[in-house]
Amino acid sequence: MKKKTIVLGLGNPLMGDEGIGIKLIEMLQSASGDFPEADFVDAGTGGMSLLHLIAGRAKAVIIDCAYMGAEPGTIKQFTPDEVKTVKQLTHLSLHEVDIIKVIDLARQLGECPEEIIFFGIEPAAVTRQMELSDILTDRLAQYAETIKTQLRRNLCK
Amino acid sequence: MSNAEVDVADVNIDVKHLTRVEGHGNIVVNMTDGKVEKVQWQVPEAPRFFEAMVRGRHFDDIQTIVSRICGICSISHSLVATKAVENALGVQVSEQTDMLRLLMHYSEQLQSHVLHVGYLVAPDLFGAPSVVPLVSQAPDAVLTIIRAHRVANQWSELLAGRITHPITLVPDGMSMIPTEAQLRDLAETLKATVPDLLTIVDVVLSVAENLPAFERPTEYVSLKQDDPPTYTFYHGHIASADGHTAPVDEWETVANEYVVGRSTAKWAKWHRDSYAVGALARFNNNAPLISPLGKAVAEKFGLEQGCCNPFMNNVAQLAEAAHVTEAALELIDKLLTKGLRKEKVRVKPRAGKGTAAVEAPRGILFHTYEFDDKGDCVAANLCIPTNQNHANIQKDFEAFVPQFADRGEDALRMGLEMLVRSYDPCISCSTHMLNIEFVK
Repeated sequence: MKKKTIVLGLGNPLMGDEGIGIKLIEMLQSASGDFPEADFVDAGTGGMSLLHLIAGRAKAVIIDCAYMGAEPGTIKQFTPDEVKTVKQLTHLSLHEVDIIKVIDLARQLGECPEEIIFFGIEPAAVTRQMELSDILTDRLAQYAETIKTQLRRNLCK
Repeated sequence: MSNAEVDVADVNIDVKHLTRVEGHGNIVVNMTDGKVEKVQWQVPEAPRFFEAMVRGRHFDDIQTIVSRICGICSISHSLVATKAVENALGVQVSEQTDMLRLLMHYSEQLQSHVLHVGYLVAPDLFGAPSVVPLVSQAPDAVLTIIRAHRVANQWSELLAGRITHPITLVPDGMSMIPTEAQLRDLAETLKATVPDLLTIVDVVLSVAENLPAFERPTEYVSLKQDDPPTYTFYHGHIASADGHTAPVDEWETVANEYVVGRSTAKWAKWHRDSYAVGALARFNNNAPLISPLGKAVAEKFGLEQGCCNPFMNNVAQLAEAAHVTEAALELIDKLLTKGLRKEKVRVKPRAGKGTAAVEAPRGILFHTYEFDDKGDCVAANLCIPTNQNHANIQKDFEAFVPQFADRGEDALRMGLEMLVRSYDPCISCSTHMLNIEFVK
């Protein structure tokens, strides 16, 4: 049985700060008992699978590394309507996906959650390493607390 | 490089796609006064750094790490890594484990093939820029594709523990297995999906005339299994449509990887200048063994063994989508007849080297690992399908451009992009992050 809220961590832990969404979802999973109405899912780089994960949910929270033009380490909360994507897709392979466009598709199909909240974290180092940068590592507890506070306030009432 | 004369004065195609992190494939064509000067498939990416990442890691961490190489073929990478580790450690898995893993593997074939044909190829054939605008143009078709993809995702989740990046695979077994009731439900779901698959087939068939009629004799390489004869994705030896064979642990003598200036990915060749892997290669090497429904799908499109039109790879994927669904139903029946039981996993570290191959949806995939006596990895060598296809894409380009240049620059560019897409490449799969600007 699907829970009404899904919290998704996206990214790749083999690419430095690109893995921040995965690290945070692991931290949140260990606190999932506080949020019985939410599923916490490590969605990795599944791309289009996001469409199926959010279908039929009332709310979705998506945690991802994001180039936002902010200082490295900055966490920002936003909705899909507050941003426009500037990601360039080649459309040459299945291996590049723009999550904003997946949400567009979900909306067109009439199966998008009513509420979607992103937590974007500006990376300091997206590079071939299994560790986060020091900047993000030092702020992990703060990020997790920011997201949990939002979940308590808004999403899991 | 072709110097063919064509009826077009000047053509300058320069499809460059560079992201902040990794390059994608670039297409460059220059023609002056009807003379082809430059035709290049450039791949400015080096995906092989994963080999360095597993060095020093314990054998039971390997599959978890390599599952992150790719979000689309994560099951294939995990399976081949687990098999290679077991090969190094001298482990022979039980029949039940083998069957459950194969069932998991089939789920990824369906997931990936439906995604590729539905989300990437169909928009081309309908003349839509992507699947999103296709929703308004062909809503029923898109909904059917999404339904089939969703079933494949649920199937993967049942066997792999989650949709992508499996968590149930461990050396010598599975950390979690489905219940018999879950397998029975899966069988019912798959039976109910067959009409959707046939609808997708008919949708693609309705626009199949837009697949370019282009052929180039090619060496097709895939797994082949003789005992028992099987349309294989998981066991067997390396075979070529030119009649050559090699054992899996000699894959390096098949791939013969080499470096070219225009690509940081290694290229491959066996008996010709290049070879192709993927669904069409599997079909060409195993066609008589495809399931009845797979055969019926191939026949609808006139796909026959020996086909050397790379665009027909998309059709072979559709035939395989039908095949794996039927093969899975047989496998589930066999598993249920035998009955599922919990099995213990026993693995001890030892020094050794192991190799394995599986067919990822986009072609044969090789992993080799070497471990010390503590079970820590000291060397790794991974060879992904797309790297094996790069040289063949280049050779196709060189034949395609003179043949299709008289259709004009835009049509030529579109044809070359479709040609790359037909290989279902895995060009850049390691990062998916957002890249956004705030509008308020």
